Amino acid sequence: MKVTLNGQVVDAREGDTLLDVCRREGLDVPTLCQDDRVDPMGSCRMCLVEVEGQRRLLPSCALPAEDGQVVLTESEKVKRHRAVLLSMYLSDHELDQDGLPTERGTGNKLREHVLTHGTGPKLPPIEAPRQYRVDANPYVHFDPEACVLCNLCVRYCDEVEAVAAITLAGRGAGTTIATADNRDLMDTSCELCGGCIAVCPTGAMTEKAALGSDWREEEVVRTTCNFCGVGCQLDLHVKDDRVVRATSPEPGTTVNDGNLCVKGRFATEFIHHEDRLTQPLVRGEDGQLHPASWEAALEVAARGLLGVKERHGADRLGFISSSRCTGEENYLVQKLARAAFGTNNCHQCAAT
Amino acid sequence: MEKKGARRDRVLEVLEEQGGLVPGASARVSEQTGVPEADVYGVATFYTLLRTPGVARVCQGLSCKIEGSDALAQRLRDEGVPFEEVSCLAQCDRAPVSIDPHMELDHVARRGQVSPADRALPMNLGGEDDASYSALARAKELGPSRLLEELKASGLQGRGGAGFPAHIKWSAVRAEADPTHYVVVNADEGEPGTFKDREVMLRRPHLLIEGLAIAAWYAGAEKAYVYLRGEFPGPKRALEHALAEARPHLEGLEVHLVMGHGAYICGEETALIEAIEGRRGMPRLKPPYPTQKGLWQKPTLMNNVETLACVPDIVLRGGQRFHDAGRTEPGSKLYCVSGHVENPGVYELPLGVCLDELVAAAGGYIGSPRAFSPGGASSGFLPMSFRDTPLDFSALQEAGSMLGSAGVVVLNDSVDLLEAARWQQIFFEDESCGQCAPCRIGCRLQRRALDRFLETRDPVHLEHVEELHWEMDAGSICGLGMVASLPLLSAMQHFPEDLDKK
Repeated sequence: MKVTLNGQVVDAREGDTLLDVCRREGLDVPTLCQDDRVDPMGSCRMCLVEVEGQRRLLPSCALPAEDGQVVLTESEKVKRHRAVLLSMYLSDHELDQDGLPTERGTGNKLREHVLTHGTGPKLPPIEAPRQYRVDANPYVHFDPEACVLCNLCVRYCDEVEAVAAITLAGRGAGTTIATADNRDLMDTSCELCGGCIAVCPTGAMTEKAALGSDWREEEVVRTTCNFCGVGCQLDLHVKDDRVVRATSPEPGTTVNDGNLCVKGRFATEFIHHEDRLTQPLVRGEDGQLHPASWEAALEVAARGLLGVKERHGADRLGFISSSRCTGEENYLVQKLARAAFGTNNCHQCAAT
Repeated sequence: MEKKGARRDRVLEVLEEQGGLVPGASARVSEQTGVPEADVYGVATFYTLLRTPGVARVCQGLSCKIEGSDALAQRLRDEGVPFEEVSCLAQCDRAPVSIDPHMELDHVARRGQVSPADRALPMNLGGEDDASYSALARAKELGPSRLLEELKASGLQGRGGAGFPAHIKWSAVRAEADPTHYVVVNADEGEPGTFKDREVMLRRPHLLIEGLAIAAWYAGAEKAYVYLRGEFPGPKRALEHALAEARPHLEGLEVHLVMGHGAYICGEETALIEAIEGRRGMPRLKPPYPTQKGLWQKPTLMNNVETLACVPDIVLRGGQRFHDAGRTEPGSKLYCVSGHVENPGVYELPLGVCLDELVAAAGGYIGSPRAFSPGGASSGFLPMSFRDTPLDFSALQEAGSMLGSAGVVVLNDSVDLLEAARWQQIFFEDESCGQCAPCRIGCRLQRRALDRFLETRDPVHLEHVEELHWEMDAGSICGLGMVASLPLLSAMQHFPEDLDKK
């Protein structure tokens, strides 16, 4: 298929949306409500383009590419539309001292669009008649004033996680994101995976623990999550030698495909916890634990295990591994049990 | 993601059984339907009749406002009756009105009129309803291709507001390869000023059912749905009664009545489909159109009540005769007229009569007419210089307005046009579904701009009205956002003298 994009004839594939084609050609078509992981909704109206023969502007995120389409993404009409629409968004958004959409430590796509595409008339705040609720959950913070109602959090929760803990609620300017009967997230089907935070384009959904932290001052360290054997990749955001938040790498780049669970995303406190063990400890004659080298500690463990085997036989030994180990580590534990000690008594806490 | 076996289509019905959005209702409905609790809550909060259950409702439509709905509301307040002020209740000929918690008409000022019985009229609301179903038999005799020819010859344009040629929709659905087709009747009449479908269902329910049966037979549908306003218990009873009588003639066709729950936007065809499916009534992106992927993603023929009520006459007396019953455009038309006229009601007249002729049928003007709204809130206001303009689809569009559902409201010189525009802007703000930003934010901005202006009389507050209208028209998903600024815009354009009032 051939599509004419801003005067250039380009290739399109079966199943492409116009947005797919635009992106492949390196065109910057702004979006707020689009995410490849969920079905297009076409409601933010940022990605509207002009298609020859159509009176109205159409959402490129939802419009299938068709052979012979003639599309304009930077016409005067499209530019005027973007500018006025962005003005309207500003009138329903928390703004900083410069009159720009507030950043909440995570970047704000609306702010980027305003800076890139400009705005139209300066409009008064609409003071939308929304319901507010205080949510006591420990992790997810929601600020309706920074929400653009892209509905990505709701769609992600439903279409990707199949949890459906949140919903669009109300109607008209009062529409907001809510839970059933406005209960706390802890009191719903929510699994606190934090995917709502990950897909939020403006930072209306943020990590409570990271409120006030600025992403530009954070160093990102890629690591493997050690809560289970799946091997999810984590980006730890580090500031002043402390982890302030954990995010997933971009969807489509790692095994977790942009997703994390409650442990991977939120259970980072242990990293800096005072009770955390950071070196081997061996119990001495005095009954107390004493720091030791790895060699010394392994020596003690091996001696003890071999002693049991010699005195009582290998089947008196049992090896229990942890779901916090990787698949490879779990494999090695059973190898150790079977090959080195000669017993099948091995188990892992995630086995059922 | 739908859970296997979930009965989403029952969500709204079960919510109603639970008494609306009362504490714990979402959980119980979720249990009974398998639809997630948050989802149920989101649906319930969308619909006026569910989110504030068990109260009386006072109409805030333009005609009721003119006739004193504020005084009616005050009276209820004095009597200590719990009530809510709501958008139009489609009783403009009886204005001002309120309904009780069971949706029954409570306070009614008077009874509206219809054209006197006349057998020559295709719909003849004043005549006797005909339960012989001879038109259905005749249609089957004609066969699908001749039936379509008659429909084509009739020139019938959809009477719901858009004026789309009916025969194109019909043949599009019939041609779809999917073996399952549905027919849906849009009986969600809610455009302020409009109450014609109500009278069709009350007076000639068989006319509608017969038109529906012909449409279903032609489209190859075994199931049909009538989506009826929740505030219409009278038409519901009339339809139920007539459906029971019609049963022997409806072999092979299941007709389901689905009640609405208070959302004007559900008159938009894709929002209506969402509502039948048990979701928030938010319009879908088009394409695909309902004729391709409609109810449950199946090809769906959706027509307005009046459109279908025209069909039996077209079949029995021929398309050409129906065509010739019109003046500037084909067919006869049910015009609703209310506001400052002697006998508000529904009048069947040739399509393309002018305002003066319509008002003459309604007994004349009350006072000195100054403005009229030709097709509901969405059509804005026109000054009396348009009194000779044919009330049809094309002439009104040229005038920057629209025929829409032909809900004509006449305003005399006792009405401040900007105040009237404000009522209409409140209507759109209340009824915007909130899905897309141009409409959600724009409706509120326009209403607040007008509020500020009326408070201060400083025109600076109106400086962005046109630009916002441009964006709402260009960028909204559905027609509501496209027309939602017209009341204010047309008042500013045609009645500049009201802007200068101190």
